[in-house]
Amino acid sequence: MKDPAEALEAARRAAAARGSAAGAQAEPDWPLEDPAAAGRRLVQWAIIEPDQTRIYSTRRYGRPVTWLKRGLIRLLRQYFDQVTAQQSRFNAQVAAQVLRLEERVAALERTIGDDDDGATAPDRPAR
Amino acid sequence: MKVSQLLCAAGPVDAVTNQAFAWRRWFERWGWEGRDYAAHMAPGLPARALRPMRELEGDQEPDVLVLHYSGYVAGLEQVLGRFPRSLLVSHNVTPARFFWAHEPVDAARCELARDQLPALGALAGAVAGVSRFNARELTELSGREADVIPVLFDESRLAARNGEPQGAPTVLFVGRLTPHKRQDLLIRALAPLREAMPEARLVLVGTPLSPPFEERLRALAGRLAPGAVAFETGGISSERLAGHYRSAHVFLCLSEHEGFCIPLLEAFHFGLPVIAREAGAVGEVVDDAGILLGPEDGVDTVAELLRIVISDRELRDELRARGDRRLRGYDQSSTAAGMRGVLETLAVR
Repeated sequence: MKDPAEALEAARRAAAARGSAAGAQAEPDWPLEDPAAAGRRLVQWAIIEPDQTRIYSTRRYGRPVTWLKRGLIRLLRQYFDQVTAQQSRFNAQVAAQVLRLEERVAALERTIGDDDDGATAPDRPAR
Repeated sequence: MKVSQLLCAAGPVDAVTNQAFAWRRWFERWGWEGRDYAAHMAPGLPARALRPMRELEGDQEPDVLVLHYSGYVAGLEQVLGRFPRSLLVSHNVTPARFFWAHEPVDAARCELARDQLPALGALAGAVAGVSRFNARELTELSGREADVIPVLFDESRLAARNGEPQGAPTVLFVGRLTPHKRQDLLIRALAPLREAMPEARLVLVGTPLSPPFEERLRALAGRLAPGAVAFETGGISSERLAGHYRSAHVFLCLSEHEGFCIPLLEAFHFGLPVIAREAGAVGEVVDDAGILLGPEDGVDTVAELLRIVISDRELRDELRARGDRRLRGYDQSSTAAGMRGVLETLAVR
């Protein structure tokens, strides 16, 4: 076979035959949405821990500059500890609030689902 | 003439950074001066190759500033506003929707970048994209007609190709491990291929978006094709990369979004047959030199096609010949001449 278009058609035919023999199955998609993972990450990131190794200089002869920057951070540790603690406290509060909201939404969705199942109940208004 | 370049972010294995270096070599060949700057720099770059963006303030006014735009930078509008004779080259920003579930910070940056682009487009003296796809997107976002200045593809810096690869049937993809590049589909396609070719393997080369994302891909590979997927996730030497291209039988790209995809050209250079999903700029880069998959083609079709391409020598030779022809369309000299014309026009404005 020399023609790429012909190869593609042959592959499509073979795949169709294979699909019909095996019972065509929808291809699972790579999940773009993963709310549980997002919630977990929010919790993981709530407590901030800056990495000192990421403080560096890209200048020529930058090593002393890197030492100086890291030294300054050490000198100002009390201040930075306060700042990170305040930020972490705020983050943790937001994460907790979001998780509580998620739980409430999930509970409401379950309630709505139950109501839909019982749609024929006599006290339910007609739609 | 003095032409300076500004990058949004630079790193030792970053495609945009390599493009800026390649352009600098051309500028030097033309006897042009200038300096290169970056807003963010990762460690590992050649010493003094780039200067921090803040030093652009003290730079003697270049005749033209080339902004290689690839991501959000706070305050970039103010910087570009100082250089009316500037060329904005868009290297594409991936839509944020691919990242929200995996790396929200990256997603937010992508969103900000796509919001920033129209303002930058309005400030720049001229705008261009590295592909027709990018140029079209830039025109839609900025309302200005964008030129196409393709990426510089320097074949002389790549190792020579070899003959038909020996060893197990090998499928290769080179590109960051990110959700929009759909390495998960490559893994899924390998599983049915291995029913026909049990020795078949997949090699994925690229730095991961994040460790958790890499773990998910590895877990998927372990479940669907245990021991058959090799991950090369660190920065690798050009010799090692050439080794991967040389030992592969086919290059497979199922990305949902690509602003250009230089590895496609590298695959052509190494005589590797290319199968790719027609998405973003992939169709225009591949043209008729590879086999383009449509949205209706699932992993079973991909697996069948891989089997055909790997086993059909005549088809492989034909694709190799078409790849060689396609590379001529990315001849460096004509790309450089196009860029030179744009920059010289800007300089005399």
